[in-house]
Amino acid sequence: MRRLGPGAWAALLAPVLAGAIVGVPLQVAEPGMRLYAATSPGLVAGIAGLACAAVMAGVLGARWHADRVAATAATAALEGAAASAARDRLRFLARLDHELKNPLTAIRVGLVNLEQTTGMRAGGDEGGTALASVSAQADRITRLVSDLRKLADLETQALEAAPVELPSLLAEVAEAIGDLPGASERSVRVTVPQAPWPLPPVEGDRDLLFVALQNLAGNAVKFSAPGDTVEIRASEDGEGLLIEVADTGIGIPADEIGQVWEELARGRAARSLPGTGIGLALVRVITARHGGRVAIRSRQGQGTVVSLWLPLPAGPGAAPDVAGSRQRGDSPGKAVA
Amino acid sequence: MGGGQDGRPVVVLADDDVAITSNLAPFLERAGFAVHVAADGTAALELVRRLDPDGCVLDVLMPGPDGREVLRRLRAEGRWLPVILLTQVGESRERAIALDEGADDYLNKPFDPYELLARLRAVVRRARPGRRPLSASPGLRAGELRMDRVARRAWLKDTELTLTPKAMLLLDYLITHPDELMTRERLLEVLWGFDFPVGTRAVDNRVAELRRALGDDSARPQWIATIPGQGYRFVATVEEVR
Repeated sequence: MRRLGPGAWAALLAPVLAGAIVGVPLQVAEPGMRLYAATSPGLVAGIAGLACAAVMAGVLGARWHADRVAATAATAALEGAAASAARDRLRFLARLDHELKNPLTAIRVGLVNLEQTTGMRAGGDEGGTALASVSAQADRITRLVSDLRKLADLETQALEAAPVELPSLLAEVAEAIGDLPGASERSVRVTVPQAPWPLPPVEGDRDLLFVALQNLAGNAVKFSAPGDTVEIRASEDGEGLLIEVADTGIGIPADEIGQVWEELARGRAARSLPGTGIGLALVRVITARHGGRVAIRSRQGQGTVVSLWLPLPAGPGAAPDVAGSRQRGDSPGKAVA
Repeated sequence: MGGGQDGRPVVVLADDDVAITSNLAPFLERAGFAVHVAADGTAALELVRRLDPDGCVLDVLMPGPDGREVLRRLRAEGRWLPVILLTQVGESRERAIALDEGADDYLNKPFDPYELLARLRAVVRRARPGRRPLSASPGLRAGELRMDRVARRAWLKDTELTLTPKAMLLLDYLITHPDELMTRERLLEVLWGFDFPVGTRAVDNRVAELRRALGDDSARPQWIATIPGQGYRFVATVEEVR
């Protein structure tokens, strides 16, 4: 049992005291005074029921209040722990990034010196091949470190918020992945609805949304084969925009799907492919910073669909067509069916 | 330019990490600079005062007075030699500080050595002996475009421009580095602080935003010219306000 707080004791004592304050002087001044009431037993039973209900309501209310206080404290403790863990992680990433910057700078300059003074050319002789390989690996570490740092920065830096038109953004994404190796052998389709109204703009940082969508579309190309289909499609549900990137590629094994959003998570299928394992974590963070959410569904051997939901700006004037239409009865399908 | 005894421009390179200086110094020497290395802030100050070099590359993090403090002291002494800061953090706040303190340019570690060479050549070429660099000026004017760099506001004639923060950052960088070819990759680094995978189209989009705000015709540009296949160049003549 929980102990009663001072508030609860006061609530219990107050009626007792009030009774004593009225009753004791009355008993002393008028010891012979009596009250007689003629009433129906039904009314008495009813009033007694109401009184009991009031007592029960008081008890339940007190208990609910106590539970809520306890739950709030627990949530606050959890949030505190999570925030502190997040801060530790950011600090660690900043230090790692910092400690690796000088060695990486030295390596890059050193490689250029080697190239210039020995006349070794990438891909030329054996020395040139080694040089090219070391250069590529130095670049890879640089990218990994800067990707991790970016992820940490993204969680805290201020985002630019401007209306972003999705159709042109999606077209740019499709164009950008067209340059990826093998992209021309996939059928890439972008579907954007025109009816009953065009997609309203979302509020956000266009560059970052581009990064997120390009990552998803790039994955779709990377984890599919010639002849596969990649679809990028958008729709609107009145409160937000849903963007899906789907492919008929190799899919993700069921035991790996839970980890795909974590940084540095690289599936078994991805180990032979270039990448730092940061892409989906980046997508998750960018979407969360826009107030949206991400989801993934996949069937091994059949394909994958990643969906990204972004809220539409609230308030009048932000998306007038949508807001107006909603008031006129744009509502869930069951009303129509 | 070219104050060195053999006609080569003299550069002071200050970094406390020998791995950096032992690699960078020969690289810059081969590129035609006479390089003098300082291992900390005090040595850097002393070298600059003694040699009066044509340029200086300062690491931000050094024992003794750090790179920013060295820069502040040099500027306080009225030394306006071109300075490139090697910064550590990629955030725009850091970049703004780097330029506000009177650095001519900056690079984030780890950088491409050829990019440092390009930046160094550009600032040495652009140096205005005895005068502060455009990047240290609080107000600039280019034709009918006027910019208050401290308040981060810009006007075309009397109309204030409404720009996104990134477009303002880009305009600030372009106007303080006029007549220099800026690759999309470099401008991307200016906008995002590192090689962010936003694609160089992000740069094109911001330039388009600037041109719209300025009413600049890309076919006959008054301010920002496209250099096909290479990048952009701020072509207007820039002068200090006040």
